[in-house]
Amino acid sequence: MASVKLTNVKKIYGKDTVAVQEFNLDIADKEFIVFVGPSGCGKSTTLRMIAGLEDISEGTVEIDGVVVNDLQPRDRNIAMVFQNYALYPHLTVFENMAFSLRLKNVPNEIVYEKVTKAAEILGITEYLTRKPRALSGDQRQRVAIGRAMVRDSKVFLMDEPLSNLDAKLRNQMRAEIILLRQKIDTTFIYVTHDQTEAMTLGDRIVIMKDGFIQQVGTPTEVFDMPLNLFVAEFIGAPKMNTFKTKLVCEGDKYYVNPYGAKIEVTGKKAEMLKGKRIGSREVILGVRPEHFVLSSSDNPEAIPCKIVVNEMMGSELHLHVVEDNGDKLIVRIPTVSLSDEQRASLVYGSTIYVTFEGKVMHFFDPETQANLLV
Amino acid sequence: MKKQNDNKIRKTGLGARASRRISNTIIYIVLIIITIVWLFPFVGILLESFKTETNMQTPYLFPKEFGFDHYVKLFTKTDFLKWFGNTAIMGVATAVLQTIFILSMSYVLSRLRFKGRKALMNMMLILGMFPGFLTMILIYKVFADAHLIEEMAPLGLIIVYCASSAMGYYVSKGFFDTIPKSLDEAARVDGATRFQVFYKVIMPLSKPIVIYTILMGFMAPWGDFVLASYLIHENSQGMNVAVGMYEWLSRTNMNTHYTMFCAAGVIVAIPVVAVFLALQKYYVEGVTGGAVKG
Amino acid sequence: MKRLSDLDYLKLNKWQAFWYKFALFFCAIPSALWKGIKKIGGFFKNCGIAVKDEFVDIGSTFKRGNWAVKLSFFIFGFGNLFYGQVMRGILFLLFELVFIAYMVVPTGGIYWLSKGNWFQKGATIGTVQGGFQYNEVFDTDVWVPGDDSVKVMLYGLLTFIFIFAFIYTWRLQVKQCRICMDITAKGKKIRSGKDDVKSLLDDQFHKTLLALPLAGILAFTVLPIIYMVLVAFTSYDAAHDGYSNLFSWVGLDHFNELFNFSQGGLGLTFGEILSWTLMWAFFATFTNYFLGMFVAIMINKKGIKIKKFWRTVLVMTIAIPQFVSLLYVSKLFTTSGLIGRVLEQIPFIHNWRVANNFVSLWDSPTVARILLIVINIWIGIPYIMLMATGILMNIPQDLYESAKIDGASSVQQLTKITLPYMLFVTGPYLLTSFVGNLNNFNVIYLLSGGNPIKGTAGGASVGHTDLLITWLFKMTLGSTESKYYMASIIGILVFLVVAVLSLIVYNVIPSTRNEEDYK
Repeated sequence: MASVKLTNVKKIYGKDTVAVQEFNLDIADKEFIVFVGPSGCGKSTTLRMIAGLEDISEGTVEIDGVVVNDLQPRDRNIAMVFQNYALYPHLTVFENMAFSLRLKNVPNEIVYEKVTKAAEILGITEYLTRKPRALSGDQRQRVAIGRAMVRDSKVFLMDEPLSNLDAKLRNQMRAEIILLRQKIDTTFIYVTHDQTEAMTLGDRIVIMKDGFIQQVGTPTEVFDMPLNLFVAEFIGAPKMNTFKTKLVCEGDKYYVNPYGAKIEVTGKKAEMLKGKRIGSREVILGVRPEHFVLSSSDNPEAIPCKIVVNEMMGSELHLHVVEDNGDKLIVRIPTVSLSDEQRASLVYGSTIYVTFEGKVMHFFDPETQANLLV
Repeated sequence: MKKQNDNKIRKTGLGARASRRISNTIIYIVLIIITIVWLFPFVGILLESFKTETNMQTPYLFPKEFGFDHYVKLFTKTDFLKWFGNTAIMGVATAVLQTIFILSMSYVLSRLRFKGRKALMNMMLILGMFPGFLTMILIYKVFADAHLIEEMAPLGLIIVYCASSAMGYYVSKGFFDTIPKSLDEAARVDGATRFQVFYKVIMPLSKPIVIYTILMGFMAPWGDFVLASYLIHENSQGMNVAVGMYEWLSRTNMNTHYTMFCAAGVIVAIPVVAVFLALQKYYVEGVTGGAVKG
Repeated sequence: MKRLSDLDYLKLNKWQAFWYKFALFFCAIPSALWKGIKKIGGFFKNCGIAVKDEFVDIGSTFKRGNWAVKLSFFIFGFGNLFYGQVMRGILFLLFELVFIAYMVVPTGGIYWLSKGNWFQKGATIGTVQGGFQYNEVFDTDVWVPGDDSVKVMLYGLLTFIFIFAFIYTWRLQVKQCRICMDITAKGKKIRSGKDDVKSLLDDQFHKTLLALPLAGILAFTVLPIIYMVLVAFTSYDAAHDGYSNLFSWVGLDHFNELFNFSQGGLGLTFGEILSWTLMWAFFATFTNYFLGMFVAIMINKKGIKIKKFWRTVLVMTIAIPQFVSLLYVSKLFTTSGLIGRVLEQIPFIHNWRVANNFVSLWDSPTVARILLIVINIWIGIPYIMLMATGILMNIPQDLYESAKIDGASSVQQLTKITLPYMLFVTGPYLLTSFVGNLNNFNVIYLLSGGNPIKGTAGGASVGHTDLLITWLFKMTLGSTESKYYMASIIGILVFLVVAVLSLIVYNVIPSTRNEEDYK
């Protein structure tokens, strides 16, 4: 139950390998923060700096207003769940969970009470006397979480805790973490490379790349208003389609010309363009796959393209299509909207016409890759 | 001429089962020959030690008269018991001290990061390239002044065996390197000091390498000839088994002590082989682990 | 040599590729050596920079330090005491007092340093030669001891080390005082003695663990090695043992003696022993390596039963102390030994022995050498077998399965999968094993004792099967001929051989660099 504040944090390995820089973040008490980004972006390093497992090269980390740069991990009152769980192989599940309490010489009754309570919440009571190697993946995961729970710590750190589980268990544990969070009510910092986990778990998401923060915001904010092209492509699956095109300003109306089609910008986006007084220019246009709709050849707003891959996902259809000059797009179409004949026609090699609405476009600067509307 | 692209399904050469049977038979024959060759000296030494008819080398292997004469003589007429005791004491002391030294060094180099770590490793690598025996010239002089030679040589030898033993840290460092680092980190987050990490987490997990190190330390004095002979000179009271028994096979003693050597050899081999075979599993782990790590 | 591009390399046929690689290997040696030398140069350059930085830092510390810091330039630990680090302060101060006391007492540091005539060619080490003098009490000549060169050198060396330690400690405590000052200026708390002790079990835990092992290495390896390197430049031998006769500094004279290839010089003997040593190491390493590997492959082959039994038979050889088995085996091959007698029955061998006047097989240089290598196989195979077994078990089974489906016969599986894998993983081991064999004292000394003898050199008898290391041993055995200085020189040369070899191998063999390929 504490706030965490990072000010200008920087991490340098060796002489000049910079892993993290200009990291500024205020984490409120009881907030669930997720660090997300591709591997090597510095998210784990940042977490380990908060934990005290890595030295902080520059800047300060505060927990509850106290600068902890020089404190040993054990003095920071944090708990951490590791990617490979880091369970002590020679100790039983009970002793694994009790380890930190034993180090503090907590009386046995209290240890027993705390461990059994945590075990009950996590549903691992029956395994308490087993050794970790006799457990399955998700059970080990629970023990690792349990070990962190008994600490009553101020901050709960999790370093890719679900990445060693298979897809089905991962979904299940994700849901359980959401439930858990309501029960143990403390500050969470969660690291993952999976944008779905980030979106579903976080109160706020910190998206990182190459050691820099790209954007901090709620899941809705980062999805609807990505600050730059990287965030736009990283959040959302399948990823956003982007293409270089021209934004044309005619009077008080804006048009884009992707692949010869002429589509008018409408709604809020048009107002924002106007508000920013943006004239005709080159842009990178971004459209999410789910915003495409099937159209016909006579529609001037339609883009003709060829199907190269047809992925049937059940509730929806992912079509990988190629535009005439070789650009690839991904189009996502709900299956309910299709008639049987339509579905039968969507096969390899056939030509389809797609278009999208004017209000769902994103515009990025081709040079800076920043969102033009922010 | 072989066809380059022959896609027909047909039998080439012998069938799968027949060829396996032939190769296995050959292997069994080779292995049996190997067994005989490797066991021959041991069986020989054992049989010859029971010969009572002569003290010399004989053209036959099986004793004409079985008896324990040489064993009795060994303990009543020679200092063998003293040598054996010396070696055993050295073995135990070396096992304990060496294990402490080697494990400390390898743990530090594997788990802790500090200034000068690389330099320390390089220094030991370079020192290891000198023939270790060279240091004995000075050590002998110093020990002679400190009365750690001849009769007191066992004490001196324990110091020599153990003092620099940490330079042989490679195998156990290789073992420690395989224990995931996140265990240390988890323990530190859980509130352990480095020392607590060492004895509460790493040590309980390191049983194989601890036993391996103890085993190597225990066996070293039994086989050492060069360092021991240098410090002991000819003083019978301070000898270890190797130096003592070496004299028995010199050209002058050969004809009177040959069978006694065999008897002594059997007695020396028994404790070492017993310990070794009991802990063979750990030895094998050490050898393979260390070699693969390089 | 011109390097081919990857695609051009792929065009070569098997033989061309082999020769290309072969040439590449040898062409790489000079550059590997050069790299090594450059590395050493870089090391010294970095040292220079570090020393310069130290001086700059000391200067600036003195300039901006307050009076307490300035005073601690002369009184050790003063700054620590001033800033409340009582324990450190007292330890530093104590160190300074002990050092000064040691240096100035009558037989202290200054005394020993002045006796040594350090590095003055021709000068004796120690100044007073002992000798017999008439003694009135006993009415006869008695030995009046003078200096002992061995001690003068040793204590002189220790004093040098003490002086270095003194300078280092001085630097350390000055730095600490400055840090204390800076911390106080920032208004932060200074570590107390209690913190220091606590940290020895925590963030300074390495110091606690390393204290004993490092002290042992310094006292019993570093110091003696420095000492023995110095001995190489003196005339220390049995006649000049330092006590009855002082020995003196001779510079590089004895190196010249070793490399003197004319009559009376040691050059030829040295060359012969070195070449046999290298030959021995080569054969001992590779015969063991390949035969051991084949034994391992045989035992581990699918379908071979009682694997554990075969393995244990071999492992017995490791368990039984080498001196027992080696001495016994060496006697087996004499004319009266069991095997020797059997061989005697063969007329050809018998006649050959009698014709050459050999008492036993060990008396023929060539046969002795071959016997050594063969018996060494008997000793070495079990180790390799164990190691190879471990590696074999690590080879993923699906590699073999996929090879079988691709059409590999069992011989092909061996040559295309098992051997390359093993060679790759054990590359570094081969080097260690080669170096180990260069210095394989036990096997040679216990089996042949270096015999048959071919003459005396360097104050010791030398045999045809002597390695450098056994020759070195014989030179120090305390006979009246012993030449300790020559032993030192040989030691240094062994070091050089090993160092150059390691440098080349580590820079040329791929597996020391691309560790990840097979993981």
